Amino acid sequence: MSTATATATAAAQPERIASGKLAIWWFLASEIMTFGGLLATFVLCRFANGGWAEESSHVNAQIAAFNTLVLVTSSLTIVQAHHAAEHGDRKKAGTYLLYTVLLGLFFLCVKAYEYSIEIGHGYTPGVSMFWSFYYGMTGLHALHVVGGIVANFALFVAAQREHVWPKVHQRVEYAGLYWHFVDVVWIFLFPLVYLS
Amino acid sequence: MEEAEAKYPNNVAIWVWLIALLAAGLLAGYLPFGHYVAVAAIFAIALVKAVLVTRHYMHLRSESLLIYAIGGVPLLLLLTMALLLVPDIVYNR
Repeated sequence: MSTATATATAAAQPERIASGKLAIWWFLASEIMTFGGLLATFVLCRFANGGWAEESSHVNAQIAAFNTLVLVTSSLTIVQAHHAAEHGDRKKAGTYLLYTVLLGLFFLCVKAYEYSIEIGHGYTPGVSMFWSFYYGMTGLHALHVVGGIVANFALFVAAQREHVWPKVHQRVEYAGLYWHFVDVVWIFLFPLVYLS
Repeated sequence: MEEAEAKYPNNVAIWVWLIALLAAGLLAGYLPFGHYVAVAAIFAIALVKAVLVTRHYMHLRSESLLIYAIGGVPLLLLLTMALLLVPDIVYNR
């Protein structure tokens, strides 16, 4: 085969997707079923039980709105980390990863404060189906935030090590995809539980 | 490098849009058009926010069809299953 033909053949082949990216998307597909199933069940049960207007009036939409702001901002910081990593800026990527971790921790602290108010007023998971769903959905989401914080912190630590970073910098994109997914889940969870 | 620098302002612009949509969603509850219109507006706004995050932050706008299929098929499956359950759960108390 001539060089020109080989070049043309290579150019005609579709670009391969990195296996790590493919893997994270497969994982997100399973998470779509998990969260989607839970949220869909909540919606159906809500319709079946008269809307739960009284129960849902006791959730704190202001605190949740503030938490939405925190999580959306953390999505910005991790996408900035990804772009820094893409362009070889290890220190900037590390800084933005740290911001993402801190914002994630702040989200969890605000969530814990919100839970303490509700539990203090006697709204525990066993009180009604609405509250079971509320703690189940937001608790599962919070657990996913914890997982994302662990992954982002590990990448932040790797970013501090010049000899380690070249081997792991691509993982910032994968961690970012997971983190954005967690953000998207909250984008739907917030109006479903707090605004409607 | 100039192309790379041009990407950063877009991320911040998307963030500004997301915050503006968050505010709009909070205000939608005060619309004088009835409860169902307000709820529809709130979820429409949530959908727009989700599309902004997936297209721009998750870079779906430049991904291959395979990625769309991996993400899209579970969504369709979920929607189908939820709709099939509506007669059983919502109307069969």
